Amino acid sequence: MRGHPDFAPDIWRALSGGGSASRLRRARGEVCDDEPVTESTRMTRPLRREAAPSTWWRALVGGMMIALALALLARRLGVGEVSAWALPAIVFITALILVWSPLDSAVQSDARRPDVTGLFSHDAWGRVVVGLLLAIGAVIWFAQWDFKGHPLTHAIVVPIVAVMAIILVPAPWWTRLIRQLAVEREQRVREFERAEIAAHLHDSVMQTLTLIRAKANEPDTVARLARAQERDLRAYLYQDRRSEADSVATALLAAMSEVEDTHGVAIDVVSVGDAPTTIPMRAAVRAAREAATNAARHGMEPISVYAELTEDSYEIFVRDSGPGFDPRVVDQDRAGIRNSIIGRAARHGGTAVISSAPQSRTEVAITMPRKDEK
Amino acid sequence: MTVRVVIVDDHDVIRVGVRESLEDDIEVVGEARDVESAIVAIKDVAPDVVILDVHLPGGTGGGALDVLAEILGGTGAPKVLALSVSDAADDVVAVVRAGARGYVTKSISGPDLSDAVRRVASGDAVFSPRLAGFVLDAFNAAGGEVAEADEDLDSLTAREQEVMRLIARGYTYREVGEKLFISIKTVETHVGKVLHKLQLSNRHELARWAAQRRIV
Repeated sequence: MRGHPDFAPDIWRALSGGGSASRLRRARGEVCDDEPVTESTRMTRPLRREAAPSTWWRALVGGMMIALALALLARRLGVGEVSAWALPAIVFITALILVWSPLDSAVQSDARRPDVTGLFSHDAWGRVVVGLLLAIGAVIWFAQWDFKGHPLTHAIVVPIVAVMAIILVPAPWWTRLIRQLAVEREQRVREFERAEIAAHLHDSVMQTLTLIRAKANEPDTVARLARAQERDLRAYLYQDRRSEADSVATALLAAMSEVEDTHGVAIDVVSVGDAPTTIPMRAAVRAAREAATNAARHGMEPISVYAELTEDSYEIFVRDSGPGFDPRVVDQDRAGIRNSIIGRAARHGGTAVISSAPQSRTEVAITMPRKDEK
Repeated sequence: MTVRVVIVDDHDVIRVGVRESLEDDIEVVGEARDVESAIVAIKDVAPDVVILDVHLPGGTGGGALDVLAEILGGTGAPKVLALSVSDAADDVVAVVRAGARGYVTKSISGPDLSDAVRRVASGDAVFSPRLAGFVLDAFNAAGGEVAEADEDLDSLTAREQEVMRLIARGYTYREVGEKLFISIKTVETHVGKVLHKLQLSNRHELARWAAQRRIV
């Protein structure tokens, strides 16, 4: 909710006429051509909260007065039949207009911050009191009518009309009260959220900053702290937190974060597709973790990890930026590659292929078929 | 040939960092820190490339989208390279659909950023591994959707998928070309087509992401 757009119900806007269109245009940030754009000219202005002087009620009250006069005249001259309830009805409508009229300027200016002084200034109080008196008078007047000699109808209709009048007169005041309660609740919720975020920032970022200041002379530690904090904040801000069991992409990300933390390197992880983590997938993630550890230990940054989950298989590619090695001349007794990458993938029915050559990049491709799942 | 750029970012530290890390053949001709000053600066100096932060104060609250709406269109409009710390899909997709020719994250190294600026200046698209991953995700490449014809805007051809996969795996354009036995020019053409699809496709994933940033 930026700029608090018009919050007033349509009826108020329709009754008060004009003004809204230009304010809406401002709210959308459209600029007028005749304003020179300079460095200091803002393209948008804060929403103007001007309330047009409300005059609609005067016109309506005047109209009602004329109607009343015409009805009285018609009765006097005996022209046509004027129902006995028509006069109290006209008076009652006039009363409603008077009681409701002060709300207009207050609602229109800004529903979120009701203009209390405007509400009770000028003749507003007077209008409400006169309106209430008129309404009571109109109901009593109506109750005097004898319903053409039907006492039963009288006994039923009069209380109903009286109750409806009691509901109708303060109706807009009630709706206003309810709306204001809603606005206040919204503000409370927002306040709560802000407090939550502040608490999180205090626990994480502030603590890390303190640590960084204390360890200012150790660049490696500072870099590690900053990286861990960045990851934490990113997870907090941008991702729906999912568990590692629900999401193989999250599991891979977590595994790579561990490698980043242990070896102080940056790993770029891209995942396409996601599914709950099965046992073979977990094995693939562990193999990829081993491959990334090797890349961090022997290779150069940047290290990229790409994982793609298709219907048939889960593939992970771990790639460093050199300097590469000749896979054929690696000692047979070196357990890293054989056991923890190729062996781990093979035990779950997958494959791991290592392609590298001296002076080029090394890439480990781990493929885990998914046919067993079904 | 020097490339003239304007850097738009609301953080002074980032602006300084970007300026320092750009190589010598890239000349910074202007800087701006919010939507309004960015529009003024860009109209003023008419740069070749705008390095544009996705989240900017001012305007109508759309950040980079407000700037893009104002400066694109018309002849001589600058090329835009979006820069962001966020990896959120709705940010990436929204700015690309609004007309950015590339998207890189702020963790990018100096030489890579300079490379990206030059590439954008010469009219090519710049896809980071992450953007390539988004594209594969959005066009359901992993689900096996393949376009029959090049003109199909709603899915990628097999070749385009291969190129995107390799970029997502961290291959440079040159390495992609070597791997697929095609020229670097052909790689650029494929990436350009994918950018075109990303901007014009009506796939609901893309529309949804864009809608989250209030553009359609």
